[in-house]
Amino acid sequence: MLQATDAPLSDAQAMDKAFLHEDNAALIFSPLKFRHLEIKNRLFRSNLSGMFDEYNGYGGHTRLNWEEKFAKGGVGCIISSYTPVAVRGRILVRYAMIDNDDKIPFWAEVGKRVHAHNCHFIMQLSHSGRQQDMGGVENLFKKAQSSTSQTDFFHGILANAMTASEIHEVVEQFAQGARRAREAGLDGVELHGANGYLITQFLSSGINDRTDDYGGPVENRARFVLEIVRAIRREVGPDFHLQMKINGVDHNDWLYPWMKKGNTLEDTLTICKMLLDDGKGVDAFHISSGSTFPHPRNPPGDISTQALTRWYGGMLASGVRTRFNYAIFKSPIGGRLFQWLWRFRRGKVIEGINAEYAKYLRSAITQIDPSIKFLCTGGFQHASNIAGVIRDGSCDGVTMARPLIANNDLPQILRTANGPIKQKECTYCNKCLINDLANPLGCYEVSRYDGETFDEKWENLIKSVMSVYDPPLFRRNTPEETEGGRSS
Amino acid sequence: MNYNPPTPAERVLNRYRWIRWIVSLLVILAALYYLVFVNQYVVAYKSDLDHYKYGSIGSEPVNGLPILVFKALPVMFRAELGPTGYRRFGMLYETEQSELPVGMSRRIVSGIERVWLNCAVCHTGTYRLEPTDRPTIVYGAPSNNLRLFDLIKFFTKVGSDPRFSADNLIDAIDGPEVHGHLNFVDRLIYRYIVFPRVQAGFQHLAQQVSFINRQADWGPGRVDTFNPYKAIQFNFPMDAGHITDTELNGSSDFPSIWQQRPRDGMHLHWDGNNTSVDERNLSAALGAGVTPVTVDIAAVHRIRRWIWTLPAPPFPAAVDRAKAWRGGQLFAEYCAACHGMKNEAGQYVYDTNRYPRLGQVEDLDRIGTDRGRWASYTQDFSAAQNMLYAGYPWRFSHFSKTAGYANQPLDGIWARSPYLHNGAVPTLRDLLEPSACTAANPCRPAQWYRGMDILDTAKVGYRTDGYGYDPKALFLYDTTVPGNSNRGHEGPAYGTGLPAADKDAIVEYMKTL
Repeated sequence: MLQATDAPLSDAQAMDKAFLHEDNAALIFSPLKFRHLEIKNRLFRSNLSGMFDEYNGYGGHTRLNWEEKFAKGGVGCIISSYTPVAVRGRILVRYAMIDNDDKIPFWAEVGKRVHAHNCHFIMQLSHSGRQQDMGGVENLFKKAQSSTSQTDFFHGILANAMTASEIHEVVEQFAQGARRAREAGLDGVELHGANGYLITQFLSSGINDRTDDYGGPVENRARFVLEIVRAIRREVGPDFHLQMKINGVDHNDWLYPWMKKGNTLEDTLTICKMLLDDGKGVDAFHISSGSTFPHPRNPPGDISTQALTRWYGGMLASGVRTRFNYAIFKSPIGGRLFQWLWRFRRGKVIEGINAEYAKYLRSAITQIDPSIKFLCTGGFQHASNIAGVIRDGSCDGVTMARPLIANNDLPQILRTANGPIKQKECTYCNKCLINDLANPLGCYEVSRYDGETFDEKWENLIKSVMSVYDPPLFRRNTPEETEGGRSS
Repeated sequence: MNYNPPTPAERVLNRYRWIRWIVSLLVILAALYYLVFVNQYVVAYKSDLDHYKYGSIGSEPVNGLPILVFKALPVMFRAELGPTGYRRFGMLYETEQSELPVGMSRRIVSGIERVWLNCAVCHTGTYRLEPTDRPTIVYGAPSNNLRLFDLIKFFTKVGSDPRFSADNLIDAIDGPEVHGHLNFVDRLIYRYIVFPRVQAGFQHLAQQVSFINRQADWGPGRVDTFNPYKAIQFNFPMDAGHITDTELNGSSDFPSIWQQRPRDGMHLHWDGNNTSVDERNLSAALGAGVTPVTVDIAAVHRIRRWIWTLPAPPFPAAVDRAKAWRGGQLFAEYCAACHGMKNEAGQYVYDTNRYPRLGQVEDLDRIGTDRGRWASYTQDFSAAQNMLYAGYPWRFSHFSKTAGYANQPLDGIWARSPYLHNGAVPTLRDLLEPSACTAANPCRPAQWYRGMDILDTAKVGYRTDGYGYDPKALFLYDTTVPGNSNRGHEGPAYGTGLPAADKDAIVEYMKTL
């Protein structure tokens, strides 16, 4: 039985949420229509970042392979990796950027590869602010730009509060990034306003301590992103898809209880209303939570102090608290306490962790403008849960990251099954996240791989992780290709 | 141009490193400051007796002298003290090699080893049976030798004496008798810190106890308990307008301190102004130089435990048992109601049910002894005492002004010579005579030498004839001097009218107490 997203649930259905998989699949694979964009299904690949590109931000062939994997896998739309609009806004090195027109051809190629699989591509326009894990040599002698001069409380990354002229400059960088995305033939842009990056640093009452027009009440804190939205609209016009990733709630006090809590759901609702900008603003919201990255609620799951001990070392030079953190991670007691705190602050729910926030916001915003759509992120990998949050009005589509790293073809699995078989499920271990500080992005959960022994499993793990380099940039032609070349 | 500048993060980390160094340094300095200047070190003694003799009760931090200064003073002032040093003041050295006299304890305060008095200085006596004997030390007995008055006067004079200079002090410390071996830093410390503070301390003491210049010499074995207490602890005005001659001259004998358990609850001190042994002990510690802040309560309590059951010493010579038996009968009739006595088993009975006046205050007019000691303890002073240790569980609360003098148990009375509270009567036998002489009767001596420790085993008390002594080392006790009256405790009820043989018998019996 097909249950339309906007049709009310019967009481019985609402009670037990017992739907046939066919119903769930039909809902998941029904098209999603934004104002100016239609997606073939409700599955989005969330922004996933690996250090696959040139050091200076030019895209590489690995990025093309990477994005194509998910397009082949069946998602309706890919939200790009974190894409800096300026070199000062990068979080890690070797990420493709959109800071210059000469980057347009690469992104055009990305769009072409993805579109070939009937998949759309949205570029996530990003700026790290003070959340700059490894800024690279370009940023070595500069303090990070931010809304505040307060040091980031997790890694101790130093920051300078941006001046008004710097703010205007960064607003323009976002606008030009959007223009380049459109010129590259991409399908839309997403502002990364969640998880502690620059836009969050302005939005969050827990971080923004400014006393000028960009600080204080929520309306002032939202001024920066509103200016970005208007500047983008100026550059790309009203019909180019623009969405905003935003925290439902900041939970800024997750590590140190004495820190301010940050934005509440009500604050976020106010910001969302402002970003509608009387119909000239954003087309959709992408709901997450947590004012830092990583955060116990994003990506929700576990934290491996063993992996942190191995790979966090690359960040030691970045902040003034990194050595302290490293000592904690290495300590048998400190590491366990940190892991306990992580799990405690996350809570019990992983899959659909942000659904309640999305539901509240969607309910209020769609009353104002029914054309606004909501995406929700948070560990989705089961059809019943995905269909459930769409059906109950939490969101119109879900975004997925780690479950797609684990199973690139997860959408195809969801067509016929509720989810991967148990052994192949994403375990939410977050080892992919931590390995990304030093290694190629991929699934590093050994237990998921085939093999009788650890060595066999590890070999399969490496094969899987390294598959992103295939096909390589340079390769010896096969005899047939060589022959064909001669004949041509 | 610096081609290798630190990154912003490195700059902050460098600053943190400096902060860590500075904090670590401050912590180390604070620890050193605590260990050197705040924490105090004392010598712990296994034996209770050694603790009594040399253990610190907390008198050194405020009133103590650096040990090298203490040892240098007799060298610097040999003209006054003579070749025997502090022995001139009756201080007792166990051996010729003893570094410190009995009753002098040490404590390291602010990195300097200081010495000052403890309980034993006032409660350790000696006796000899023959002039050629070595003195036998009796711990817990009254200090019959100690000339505290002279000692205090010596210290008060030193502060303003031109010979007491930093150069002379350092020379004396480095000299062959003290062997201080001061190095360059030590000399600087002694010149610029120790000497000025000691000199100021002496001068301050002289100012505080200037009233002693109006007092009659206390003499050996006596102390003015309360007037220095009033001046030093409470800053009472001590001029003639505030302190009468009677109140000013109330010196009395040091008491014995053995067998304190049965005395708890009795009226203690000569005038019975307190019934708590613990309060009496703490108050006496203040007299030794302890202050309410520096008192070492644990050390005082250890001494308290030791004297709780410390036995009185046995009489050191032969006793005529038959005569003593007869004396016992008379003692029971005349003395026991007020003083208690031994039972048939040879144990002293302190039972106030059996001896109802034991440990009670005898009205001043009835006892008739010198008023000076009684007058020196005033109600104002009592009120001030009861404010001491406010906020502590051991706050004073039992002090009160009485109407006379308390009846004491007479255990070990032979070792407590001379007699009456002010030590005005040299022997027990003399005490059984009236103070006023008649043609027919002998009487208590009106003038006699005090300061001997040769025991008169017949009359029971120290000899007063100067036999075997340098007359200059003796003190002429004059009963006409204010505070020295030998009257009282006389009349038919006190046995002074008994026949001589009965008196002899009573004295013989008292040897056994």
